[in-house]
Order: sequence, then structure tokens, then C-alpha cells
Amino acid sequence: MFKLNLKIALRNLWKNKGITAINVGGLSIALAAFILVMMYFTYETSFDKKNPNYDNIYVVGRTFPDFKTNFTPPPLAKAIKEAFAEVVAVGKMKPSGFEFAAFTDQGTVFTKKQLFMEYEAAKMFNIIPEGGLEKPNGTETFYYLSKPYMQTLYPNKTDNKPEIVSFGSKAEPMSGQVKGSIVPNPHSNISFDAVSIVNEIGAGESYGYPNYYTYIQVKPGTDIATLESKINTLYQAELKKNGMIEEGENATVTTAFLDPLKNQHLRPKAGNDANYKVLIALSLLGFAILIIACINFTNLSIAQATKRAKEVGVKKVMGAFRYQLTAQFLIEILVQCFIATLLSLVIAEIILPQFNRLFLVDLTIWQIDNDLIWQLPIILVFITLIAGYYPAMVLSGFKPVAVLKGNFQTSRQTYWLRNSLLVTQFSVAVIFITGLLIINSQLKYMRTQDVGFNPNQVLRVKNIVYFNDPEKFAPIKEKILKVPGVKATTVANILPDGSETGSNGYTANGTQASLDFIDVDYDYFETLDIKLKEGRLFSAEFKGDAQNAAILNEAAVARFGLKDPIGKVVRGCNTDYTIVGVIKDFKANGFEKAVEPSIYSINNPCGNGKTEIMIKVDENQMAAVLATLKANWKDINKRDGDNFRYEFLDEMYGKLFKKQEQLQSVFFAAAMLTILIAILGLFAFAKYITNGRIKEIAVRKILGANDLQIFKLLNTSFFYMVMIANIISWPLAYILTKKWLETFVYRVDISALPFIISGLITVLLTIVTVTLQARAAVKANPVNALKYE
Amino acid sequence: MITIENLEKVYKTEEIETTALNGINLHVATGEFVSIMGPSGCGKSTLLNVMGLLDKPESGSYKFIDTELLTLNDRERSNFRKRNMGFVFQNFNLIDELTVFENIELPLIYNKVPAGERKKLVNEIIGRMNIVNRSGHFPQQLSGGQQQRVAVARALVTKPKLVLADEPTGNLDSTHGNEVMELLCELNETGTTIVMVTHSSHDASFSNRIINLKDGHVISEKINKGKTEELI
Repeated sequence: MFKLNLKIALRNLWKNKGITAINVGGLSIALAAFILVMMYFTYETSFDKKNPNYDNIYVVGRTFPDFKTNFTPPPLAKAIKEAFAEVVAVGKMKPSGFEFAAFTDQGTVFTKKQLFMEYEAAKMFNIIPEGGLEKPNGTETFYYLSKPYMQTLYPNKTDNKPEIVSFGSKAEPMSGQVKGSIVPNPHSNISFDAVSIVNEIGAGESYGYPNYYTYIQVKPGTDIATLESKINTLYQAELKKNGMIEEGENATVTTAFLDPLKNQHLRPKAGNDANYKVLIALSLLGFAILIIACINFTNLSIAQATKRAKEVGVKKVMGAFRYQLTAQFLIEILVQCFIATLLSLVIAEIILPQFNRLFLVDLTIWQIDNDLIWQLPIILVFITLIAGYYPAMVLSGFKPVAVLKGNFQTSRQTYWLRNSLLVTQFSVAVIFITGLLIINSQLKYMRTQDVGFNPNQVLRVKNIVYFNDPEKFAPIKEKILKVPGVKATTVANILPDGSETGSNGYTANGTQASLDFIDVDYDYFETLDIKLKEGRLFSAEFKGDAQNAAILNEAAVARFGLKDPIGKVVRGCNTDYTIVGVIKDFKANGFEKAVEPSIYSINNPCGNGKTEIMIKVDENQMAAVLATLKANWKDINKRDGDNFRYEFLDEMYGKLFKKQEQLQSVFFAAAMLTILIAILGLFAFAKYITNGRIKEIAVRKILGANDLQIFKLLNTSFFYMVMIANIISWPLAYILTKKWLETFVYRVDISALPFIISGLITVLLTIVTVTLQARAAVKANPVNALKYE
Repeated sequence: MITIENLEKVYKTEEIETTALNGINLHVATGEFVSIMGPSGCGKSTLLNVMGLLDKPESGSYKFIDTELLTLNDRERSNFRKRNMGFVFQNFNLIDELTVFENIELPLIYNKVPAGERKKLVNEIIGRMNIVNRSGHFPQQLSGGQQQRVAVARALVTKPKLVLADEPTGNLDSTHGNEVMELLCELNETGTTIVMVTHSSHDASFSNRIINLKDGHVISEKINKGKTEELI
């Protein structure tokens, strides 16, 4: 019987090649999208998952009144280890903020992400250099470079012996020992290209140096809420004991928290969960597309059902039970879904490189330990049931008496279901089109809106030397300015590329407020083309500027409620600053965050080191300037090195838009996919409807209807369905896009236009599709249609 | 073989109720060939469907030999049907995707006949029906007469006790129609009971007895003398 059913199925599919292709094709495209999303989801949610201690590792972090951080002071780690038996291991790490040059006679590499790590932490994270993880003796440091770096530095190395390597500039090199190479796990929260493993880092440092990440590993089954509260109590006590809290000060201003390792990649407590939200949105999107394709499948299968009615009737007359027929149709659909799954893998493989580029990942389909191996069969069964259950029930439910008499009408219920499925498909398509249009308009706004400064033609030069004192930077500045084509240059503690600077308490006008501080040099505002609102900018002509002059932005002036700010005093970090100027607010942090109240000063005892050199270059002389700087850099900035390395500030600032551009691409793909699938479905559905009305068309033509009237007749019901879809999805699209736009402080208003456009697009596509499909029936000779009565 | 008593069947739609069978009483003896005639809408096809267990009446009794069939559930009805009955339809109702051989084989599959046995039975009946050289063809490649032969072959391959034929010649020209009727007669002569619904008095003349229905009632029964005498 199976063989015979298979024959019937295959011959049927072959006879309806077109519809089969649409059915299987549509499903496989959607499935490909879903597979990619699922692979991405699996990848993003499984950072460090292979670590055997995955469930027991926590980060110790600290909560301040307005932010959270994972940076902790080193004595805390020691105190935790000594105090709690349920903590089996404690390890600290510290990232290096600089790119370091490491060189030998054979080559030079730049370590971009160097980590200092305790042996205990390395053990916890399963970090194993080639040749195994060794415990350093005493204060010994084991330095490992990533494998490709080692190959560049020592191309002929075959043994495992340590080597000597030089760091920094050739003029003033430091040297050290490389113990060996290491292959970092790219799928871990702990990423690095060079790592120093020691027994203890930050040994002599007190609670005033919160520059370390502290990881703890607890015994399985530990009650984390209790432990967290115990650690917090310990932290408060330690602060008091070490004189970090003065009498009368509120000890609970900073508290300690624990954050599980599994949250670190997507939604760390100290950080934002934007990536997590994007991931969830993406997964829902992938799922929605898959469901739409399944709906399509269901719809087309029901539309095709009448062709199988006779078969069902005959089989039932011969004694087939309903369950046998249900199983038969489900297996048929399973076979189609299986083919679609195979096809989808091919499609996914084709799209994968683009996908990887867009999401900055390196996913592959064909690998043994891929979770797809168990996920795919589940999906296959799932889509078979979603797409096939209803058609199988409809088909196997045909009454033989009726169908064998030639009455193939499906029920009214089925008619409603089919129409509502079609409306659902178009609703989703409309939501995606509207969403895409609104995302486009926000991105266009972000690209064209004046951000208040000009990052174009500004070079950021990578540098490891501190230039906190303007006098120290002056000779370098002089040499840079001598290069023809350089318009201005400056140095600051931070770049206006969305990077977070520090904040401190300041008082002015009797008001205390927390301001972001930006430590700058002369010509900072000129280099970045930031507009002055009142007063003046910093100048070497005013001796006091290097000591205690400050410039505020509009937001800071507003925060203090200063009426006439110039000449007023702002006190912070034990310094009385005189306000010499006010600049207009500029969007250093993009469009999502409001401009923070900020203070700019040349001297800031509480600030960070000024290392970010920025150079404004004449547009037409960029290539020449770069060549000259490259050639002369070791003379210009002797201690930094022989390698002039730079980035373009506008590109760095542009990275702030990256996430939104990803979203735009995803929405573009989703909108195209849903439209494609909906139109494919409509195409086949219109054919079915038209075929069912051939006799009616013939009769109407004989009675005098012209082609246009017939086209109108056939289009009307579809037109209404698409209009209903639009009306349903407009409010939904409005709510969703409004929610998305609310994540921006600076945003466009939602106009009616995107809604009207998506309405027009769907209506137009529907009319074209239905008309194309109906043409044959309309043009046919009515006599032929009636002859077979 | 068949005893039907007080059979009632009502079709209900949203607005109207139609009584298709109104207290039918009927007896069909084993080996009989009975024709049911009457104007359109008189209930003859409904009666045939009830006899074939494809439709359920509201009330009455339907005994097949000694088994009461109206109390059976769906599964039992299916089982009973596939073991005891064969069907021939006006519009043949062959499955387009299956060849002649496969179409005829289908009821044997549902009766769980082993493959070797199936092949033997199908070949045997194909030979009897004179369609040997058509066994690999699909229904659309055959003439109407040939299609109906295949349909008859399919009805007979399980050697049913009862064959139900619903206007078997309705879609055929007179030559092919006669061929099919002769086939049914031959079959009847080998002992199979046949109940046939027809509009055609010519076709009815092949049977032993003609039952006339009107508005769901049996209005007359006529022994087909010529045929009966012939048999005697």
C-alpha cells in the first residue's frame, strides 16, 4: 500500500509541477532564513557553554547610583576567597587598553586585545596554551601570543621553547619572553590575542583601584541570592575597614552583585541588553516567516484538495479508514517538507557568507558538532504538522457519496480559513514593508542630520603615550601641523565615537550635578568643528586655560540652571574651574542617547590619560598627509613606535549605526521574503479560484461581459482581502515602529506615507498577480468552457 | 440476502428538509439481479448508497444475510464493505494517477491480500475483462468503455457477494453500454448478487426484477419475465 500511495503522491506532484515548485520553493526559502536565524541564535546563546564550569561561574560587579560596572578592586577577590567555602575558585583578569607592537627580526604584530590573567582564572575558563597550562612559580609571568602572531614573529619555529620578543618602539624597546602560542576560543566571553598568566595580579593595590574583573566559581547547587548578599555585606565591611567610607557617608552607595557567566555575552547586568533584544526580535522574525510559509503550504494544499477528492472517495468505498488516508497525506507533506529542508540547506549555504558579514560572525553549516543535526528533524516534524495537519484532515474527511458524484465543494469553514490565512500572510508582509520604510526614514535622518560636529577627514592615530600635560604634546603637535594638508590636531582622553567617558560630581550655582568629563588639549573643538555658543574656546594665549578653565555644553549649563555662565565657577575634583565658554550640544553618542551634560577641561586631576590623537586633514590632501605621517611618525612621536596606525573618525562614528543598519538589512530581507511568499501563494491561489470560475466566466462572456469587467470581477475579492490585511496591520506596524523609534532620543515622526505606500505596493502586486493568472481564463473561448458540461 | 425494512432517510439543509427514502421495504435474494428505476430525485441513488454503507439512514433496518448493518460503527462498516461489496459508478471513478493494473489492485491492498496473490487475481480478472494489453495504461489513455471495464474489474477482483452499480452505462455509448451490461449478466450468472440503479429500461431489461421508486416510496415491483424464464 505504501508503494502505491507513494506512486500516487509522486505522480500527483509531478502533474502539478508548478504548484509543487511554489509550495516547496516558498517553504525552503523561508526555512533557509529560519535555519540561519536559528544557527545565529544557538551561536549567540552558547558563548562559553562548552566550559564544564559554565553554570557555576559568576562575575562580581558593583552597582553605583546611576550605573553598574564589572570593574572591581583586587583585594575584594582575595576577601571572597577567604570568607566563603562555597566559592571554590576566584580569578582576576585585567584588559590592556592599548595596542602594543611586538616585533622580532622577522616581523611585527600588534596585540589588540591583551589580557592579564591569574592562573586560577585561566583554569576556570579552560584556557589552555599549546603544550598545556602551566602554573607560574612565584611572581613569574607566562606570556602567550595567539598562533598567527607567533607564526609571523617566528616563521621557522618548530619547537615549544620560549622566545625573546621586543615590545613598543624600536627606538626605546622593552623586551620580554614569550612562553608559547595559544589558540583562543572565538566562542568565549574571554577574548584576547595575547595573554599574560600570573599567580596574582594587582597584589599591592587597594580598594581604590577598581581596574580588575573578578570571576568566581561556586560549588554546584549554591544559593546565589544568599551568596550575593553575603558578598555585598563583606564588600561593605571591607570598604569601611580600609577607610574607603568616611564617617557619616552612606555605605550602600556602591553595592556588589553577582552576574552569571551565561548572561555575559548578551545581557550583562553591567552593560546593555540591546544585542539580546535584537536576537529575540530576529528569532521572532524568522519564526514568523516560517509560519507564513507553512500557511502558504496549507492554503495551497487545501486549494489542491479537490483534485484528490475522487481518490479519497474511491479509497473509502474500498474500505480505507480515515486514519490511513490522514497518514497518507501527512507522509506526502512530510516528503515535500523533507525536500524543502534539503533545498533550504543549500539556500542557507549560499546566503551564509552575506549573513556572516552582516552579523560579524563565522557560522558554518557543515560541521559535525552542529546543533542543526538534532534541530532539523524537530523542525521538519514541526512544519509538517503545522503545514500538513489541516489539509490532511480536510482531504481525509471528504464524504465519498458527495465527491464520487462530482461534488468537490470544500466546506464554508475551509473557505473562511483559506481567506483568513491569505489575509494573515499579507498582514505580516504589510508590517514588514511599513517597518522597513520607517527604519529607512530614521536611518536617513541619522545620516543627514547635523550631529553638531564633523568627524569627516579626521584621523585618529593609535598611540600609547600619555599627553596629559599640554607642554608635552606641544612639540608633537608642532611637527604634525608642519605636514602640508593638516588643518588642526589635538589629543583627548576619549573619542566622540560613542565611547563612554567617566563622570564626576561638580557644583555650580549652588547645584550639585554629575557631569561627564572630557579631558582635552588646545584645538579640540576646532579639530572636530564643534560650534561655540558663547564665550571663547581654549587658547594657549590664556595661561590659566591649562590650569583651571572649563568649557561646558548646553546640557551642563541647563543642568546647573546657569543664566550667564561665562566667568562663573564650577567646582569639582578639588578644583575651581572658571567657565570660559559654552559649546552647542553635539551627538558624540549617536542618536540613541541624549547628549550628556559635559565639562571639557585641559587639566583634570581626576581624569584619564589623554592618548587619543586626532588630526583634521584637508580633504584633497588626505593621501599625501597619510604618506608623510607614515614616513615621519617615528620622529614625530618617538616613544610610540615605528608604526603609524590610524583610523578614520567618521568610520568609527559610523559604527554607532551598525546595529541599526543590521536591522535595516534584516527587515529588507524579511519584507522581500514575506512579499515573495505571499505573492507565490496568491499566484497559485488565484489560479485555483479562476479555474473554479471558468464556467461562470464563460456564461458572463456569452451574456456580454467584456474582459475588463471579468478582470474586475476576479480581482474584487482579492482586493478586499488585501485591504483588510492593510487595515489590520497598520495599527500593529504603528505600535511596533513607535516602540522601536522610542529607543532613539533623536528620531523622526511617523507619517502616514509609509502606511499608504505599503498599502499601494500590496494592492498593486495583488492586482498584477491575479490579472496575470486570470488572463488565460478570460481570453479563452467561452464555448470550450461550456462544451464539457 | 438483503432485507430492508422501513428505511427512512432525510436530507437537511439550512432551509429545507427533503425526504429521500420514505419507509422503504425491500428484499433481495442471493444471486438476484435487481434494477432500481425511477425519475431523478426519487431516492434511488440514496438507496444504493445506504445499501453500500456509504450513507446512514435515520431509521429502519438493513440486514445482510443475518447481520444488522445499521448498528455498525464506521470502522465496522468499512470492514464489512471491503469484504462483501463491490462498486461500479457512472463516472467510473478510477484514480487518474494509477495505472489500470494498480487501480484494480487497490481493493486487494485494502483487504490485505499478499502481493503474489494480488498479482495473480488482478491478471486473472484483466484477462477475463479483455484488457490485458491496457494494464500499464493510465485511465485518461482509455476509452469510456474500457474505463468502465476496468471499474467493473476493480469491483469484482475481491469476489464480493454483492455488486452495487450506479448507472454503469450512463456515460457510455450504446455499444460500450451493452458490453458492460453483458459483463454484469455474466457475473450474475456465476452467482454474484447485483443491485443496479438505472434510468434506462434497456439496461433494466437485463435484470431479474425491476423496482420503481417515486418520492422515496417503492411504487411498483416487476418480475422481468423474459429474463426469469430464460433463467429457468
